[in-house]
Amino acid sequence: MSGINALLMLPALLLLAATFLLPMVRYAWMSGHASSVVTGLMAIPNGGANWQRLLQDARFWQDAFQTLRFAITSVGLELVLGLSIALLLHQPRRGRGLLRAITLLPWALPTTVMALGWRWILNDPHGPINALIIRLGGDSYGFLITPSTTWLFTVLADVWKTTPFVALLLLAGLQSIPTDMVEALTLEGASRWQILRRLTLPLLMPFITLALLFRLAQALGVFDLIQILTRGGPAGSTESLAFYAYLNAMRFLDFGYSATVMLATFALLVLLSLGWILLQRVGSRRTA
Amino acid sequence: MGLLLALLIACLVAVARAQPRPVPIRVLMPASFADATAEQVRDFNQSQGRLRIKVARGPVDTDAMADLAISSLLLGDTPYDAMLVDISQLTKFVAADWLEPLEGWFGNDYFEAMVPGARLGNASDGHIWRLPFTADIGLLYWRTDLMEQPPQTPEQLVVMSRDLQRQGKVRWGYIWQGRQYEGLSCVVLETLDAFGARWWRPAATAPAVDPATGGAAAMRETGSTQLDSPAAERAAAWLDKLVTTGITPEAVANYAEAEALGTFAAGDAALMRNWPYAWRELERMGSPVVGKVGVTTVVGRPGQQGSGTLGSWGLSMLAGGPHPTETAEVIRWFSGPEFQRRMAVSAGYPPTWESLYEDEELRRQVPLLAVERQALQNPVERPPTPLYAQLSDVVQRQVNGMLTRHGDPGTSMARAQRQSELVLRSAAGTPQEVP
Repeated sequence: MSGINALLMLPALLLLAATFLLPMVRYAWMSGHASSVVTGLMAIPNGGANWQRLLQDARFWQDAFQTLRFAITSVGLELVLGLSIALLLHQPRRGRGLLRAITLLPWALPTTVMALGWRWILNDPHGPINALIIRLGGDSYGFLITPSTTWLFTVLADVWKTTPFVALLLLAGLQSIPTDMVEALTLEGASRWQILRRLTLPLLMPFITLALLFRLAQALGVFDLIQILTRGGPAGSTESLAFYAYLNAMRFLDFGYSATVMLATFALLVLLSLGWILLQRVGSRRTA
Repeated sequence: MGLLLALLIACLVAVARAQPRPVPIRVLMPASFADATAEQVRDFNQSQGRLRIKVARGPVDTDAMADLAISSLLLGDTPYDAMLVDISQLTKFVAADWLEPLEGWFGNDYFEAMVPGARLGNASDGHIWRLPFTADIGLLYWRTDLMEQPPQTPEQLVVMSRDLQRQGKVRWGYIWQGRQYEGLSCVVLETLDAFGARWWRPAATAPAVDPATGGAAAMRETGSTQLDSPAAERAAAWLDKLVTTGITPEAVANYAEAEALGTFAAGDAALMRNWPYAWRELERMGSPVVGKVGVTTVVGRPGQQGSGTLGSWGLSMLAGGPHPTETAEVIRWFSGPEFQRRMAVSAGYPPTWESLYEDEELRRQVPLLAVERQALQNPVERPPTPLYAQLSDVVQRQVNGMLTRHGDPGTSMARAQRQSELVLRSAAGTPQEVP
């Protein structure tokens, strides 16, 4: 029986391997080679020089920090906001369908369009926010040119766009919780807060994990938002790892090093995901 | 009736066959150049029926333009026959084997009649890769109503600016480009030169040619950076001090050409570093300083003419196009004196031909010609290495960081040097192979 199972799964596994594994293998191979304008774009083995460079490359580590900062802050905010919205949308009331559709609007907008919109909103001094500040008698603020705070506005734009996605996932999870369990708890005299903590959240955990992993993968690979909104500036303070990998490949034509940066980013994502899953295991064992 | 119709169609087909359709030559250029040349291209297309130039409008930003071109070139089959290439990008495209050598059509002495600055940056490895159609160069704009003579050295610039500011005659002394982008590298290059420092030292030996690739750029090391020399540190310290002493506004860290021009045009600065196009822009904007502006070479070492950064644009033929001969013809037309004359008059782009600089009529129409010619005698080139984009990026980040108070001149330049070495080493293969 298990033999047939494996056989039936084979086509899907092959497809996955071809679309996910092969590029990874290719990256791994590239990262062991010099393939740049200096080599006439030919791949020449360079004995791990790319990895040596990665270790010494302050810019890589700065970008790694900035990418993590961006991903953790925005995914954290999205989970909190997404859960709140999902709980609200889960309440039975009239016009629920319409409300849900409206909530989804930011998610339906292409990132490029959304980022252009935010660039205008945050423009110094002509954007609407600064126009308001000036009208109220303040000085316009360089939202996108202040190295210490600009990253917060990339987070803001990301949260605005992707919170609906998280809300939708969690809403699906809420709807899968059997209503009789809620009723039973209510009859036992449990407060709403107790229901949320003891019943809803534990049962929602798989959905939260799913949303978190999805969003973490996306946020760690953030590129389009950065490219349109800040181009990694000011003073490199919003540059992400994906953007750095893009610069290396497309602008510097250094494909060997670009592959190295991509692989390192991937490793980071795997480590973070494993960490989260481990954390959950430990958590569920403790409650069990 | 049906027969008549068939006859008519046959006639039409025969006529269409007899008239050869014009060969389409697709040229990619930044939108600003596409606009500036639109009228001439239309005239060219109407003047003959053999060739039809189709201009594709690329992004205005030099880097974005290169990104676009590279995306299409990497796929191996580009939709363009020729593209306008900035001098700072040429070596990279050559090293990637994307360009077609042009000496077969133009010979090796085609450039002899050009001004010295325009001859640079078109050839490498014994091949010609580009015909320049404008020779841009960094210049110093100064206010004739505020000073009798423009400053000629960095020290003079500081003293004169301070005096004017102290007397309350002008808000800022000197405006330039400090944003983290290619323009900042141009400013740094000029400043290094003014302090006797060098960004790039070419390798003593000629680049090794790999016989296996028939001369393609295989594993070559072309030179090294010298950004941590005492002179280079002095140059960086000078830029830093301009900001800390208030001669230059702190906002310069976000200034590109347009912002610098805006401040100068508003009458808020005594001096500005910019390109020749700024002259026409000042007039077009109807700036209150028009008529009170002089243009000269940038500041340099004492007793020497300062060297402006060379920034020329020219057309290159992309490898593997279907119509190389026709493309060469179009490139010749684009770089020809007639085309350049109209560009100089309509858009203020400095020509490359010596003869145009001597043309009395043109000198009357384009007052900047004399100073452009003088500056083009002695320009400074950006490091001619295929790795320039990386090296420039390193310098931009470090110097912009210095300007936004993230490092003092010494550490910024030392960091820039260290990171440049890292780039050169790892891109060139195993670290041990490189001296």
